[in-house]
Amino acid sequence: MNSQPDALPKEPSIRPSTPGLGWDEFSRELVEFFASVKLAIFLFLFIAITATIGTVIQQGERAEVYVQEYGESAYRWFLRLGFTDVYHTWWFTSLLGLLCVNSLTCFYKRFPSVWRSMKQDKVGVTMAFIKNMKQQAEIPLDNTKEAVAQQMVHHFVSKGYRVLAKNEPGEVTVYATKGVMGRVGAHMAHLSATVIIFGGLLGTYYGFQEFGVCLEGQTYHIPRGNFDLKVDKFWIDYHENGSVKSYNSTLTVVDGGQSVVTKTISVNDPLVYKGIWFYQSSYGDAWDQVEVARVNIKDKETDKVVKTVDLEWKKEQSLPDLKVKLSITDFVADFAFNSTEKKVYSKTIEHANPAVKLVINERDSVQATPWIFQQFPDLFNIKDSKYQFELVGYKPRKFTGLQIAKNPGINIVWTGCTMIVVGITLSSFIFHRRLWAKIVPGQTGVTVHFGGTTHKSQIDFQKEFRKLTEKIQTFKT
Amino acid sequence: MKSLFLFDMTFWLYLAALVLYIGYLFARRPSMALAPAGHLPDSFDERDGVWATQLGQVATLVTIFGWMLNTGALFTRAFERMEHSGTFAPWSNQFEAMAYVSWAIILGYVLLEMRYKIKAIGAFVVGIGFIAMGAASLLPYRYQTAEPLVPALNSYWIYIHVSVTLTSYAAFATAGGLGVMYLFKERAERLGKTTGFYAAFPDLETIDELGYKAITVGFPMLAFGIILGAMWANYAWGGYWSWDPKETWSLIVWLIYGAYIHARMTRGWEGHKAAIYAVFGFLMVIFCFWGVNFLLSGLHAYA
Repeated sequence: MNSQPDALPKEPSIRPSTPGLGWDEFSRELVEFFASVKLAIFLFLFIAITATIGTVIQQGERAEVYVQEYGESAYRWFLRLGFTDVYHTWWFTSLLGLLCVNSLTCFYKRFPSVWRSMKQDKVGVTMAFIKNMKQQAEIPLDNTKEAVAQQMVHHFVSKGYRVLAKNEPGEVTVYATKGVMGRVGAHMAHLSATVIIFGGLLGTYYGFQEFGVCLEGQTYHIPRGNFDLKVDKFWIDYHENGSVKSYNSTLTVVDGGQSVVTKTISVNDPLVYKGIWFYQSSYGDAWDQVEVARVNIKDKETDKVVKTVDLEWKKEQSLPDLKVKLSITDFVADFAFNSTEKKVYSKTIEHANPAVKLVINERDSVQATPWIFQQFPDLFNIKDSKYQFELVGYKPRKFTGLQIAKNPGINIVWTGCTMIVVGITLSSFIFHRRLWAKIVPGQTGVTVHFGGTTHKSQIDFQKEFRKLTEKIQTFKT
Repeated sequence: MKSLFLFDMTFWLYLAALVLYIGYLFARRPSMALAPAGHLPDSFDERDGVWATQLGQVATLVTIFGWMLNTGALFTRAFERMEHSGTFAPWSNQFEAMAYVSWAIILGYVLLEMRYKIKAIGAFVVGIGFIAMGAASLLPYRYQTAEPLVPALNSYWIYIHVSVTLTSYAAFATAGGLGVMYLFKERAERLGKTTGFYAAFPDLETIDELGYKAITVGFPMLAFGIILGAMWANYAWGGYWSWDPKETWSLIVWLIYGAYIHARMTRGWEGHKAAIYAVFGFLMVIFCFWGVNFLLSGLHAYA
């Protein structure tokens, strides 16, 4: 990067007379290729173009979705090219890898010269070199070369330049430089690509991301951290106008049988323990528990509702006037029956066909445990009972959806991110400037041959150069 | 809402400023700029020159006044937000974001004008600021009010992530405006129209360099904005990068400008090419900012 515009005139390089395909030649070409800006531009644009694929085609969907939307032959091509998961295909990953190689090779090839220009400077240049520069001026002054040089050095230093001067019998050469950090910044940004991608890989291989559905009051074992997590509470806060303000879960970490930390997490406020992060990610209605269910009790003879009761989960309620005791012991959101295991279960987590298992004790003589369905109230008839029981509503228990993640590469990623931001900022706002002035004594005074160069921000530099020239013109006596 | 009235006033003032800047371009006699000191050509009418100068000054004043109103509107909106929801960031929905972008564009322009003393740019850059404000006011009313934030957005990250990203968009918008200006001027020069309207433009090299400057401001800012977004995502969702369409598009935009910055440094992408590229880049920014919200689904769909 930034080599051409202000490159110093090169010495004619001595090439070997026979350009054979030796290793040196080959490796030089290789470095040349991988360090080239051309490759960088190609990679930037190619990654940009291919990255759009994943924003247009839905990623990680089921096969049917693609077939329905794009047709079968298109879907086959998608699979072949990896378009259903573009960002994890071998070729996309290779592009990122190539970007790392590119920026690292560029650093390897170009940073040494930046380093050298920080450490040592090219003071002695030829007159032709100065005259060839884009910004240059010739200023005749009525003064001695030492006096002019002294004022010039003083002025450059006051403008923040680092100045070197060489006094020779015939002439004085002053060299001033500023803003080399701009170039260091560019290389810092180059290194950052690799740092970020390395951190990302570390996270992919040694980290994990899981999703947990947790019910209030339950304790869950976190095998990756070898501790337990107790979900104390989940609730939702609302704004005045009824929109959701925040989702909150109170979590307690139990490590070695002892409660260690208790924290209420919400969407932007996770709990961190032993490098494992717990995020409030979602919530929903539990499919196997309710808080309370409402049951209508109908008299079979009159077909009239004689009582409506709200039954709490697994709590027996007695109704002395009807001589009935009721309790709810089970719930499924989407009723299904496994005939081989003789087990009732919930087919999905949707509340598609909710049912509760009601335990009935009527006059201590009739006992029954029917499943009653909200959608099919007439399905069961308890023979000896005076009543018909109907499930008319329920309040499901909420579950909290926790995202559980650990990413050991995260701090490396943040380091890389800091490098890239600092690096690009330095290289954007600080530009490397170099000035040379030769003060040559003439018959009546001296002539200052003044020239300067920068690798960017030409108009700012032009302005600065003009001001410096005007200042030099005042170095009379 | 009081802020809506102020946003409305800002819109009209920016329109007025734009008209004045265009008027300035017409009024400005190129002969004045070209005439050597003391030797006015015969066709030069001094009143014209004075008139142009005054028009330019009024345009600047109207722009600054409009910007102050814009600032006032954003502050008022911040207070309104404070009453309704816990945060005050006045860039929490599409409408506010647009109003903030136009605020940043105009601020950038005013600084540019103060530093480089080139008023002719105003017709283009203030123009884009005005369009941003206008597009915001075209949004349906329900998008313009300060509804409480959804829990995912309700975080202090919104202050910095959104403002930094939007400021970078404003810088790219400025570069886009300068690109258009460059192409106009270039065409005029090619057709030999050296007098009148186009002659009042600064020379091509200056437009080109200023456009590049705007991009070098936007480029690190967008990088910072994306990274702040990644940090926020890490805090809110448990992963710093999930290839969500908005994320991906902001990265695409960044890569596009990254290619430009590299090409400019060493491969001499200046002038014509750079101008076209700046316009293209800006179109990509518009897609990232608007298109993604309306055409693609994802985690940023609310904004």
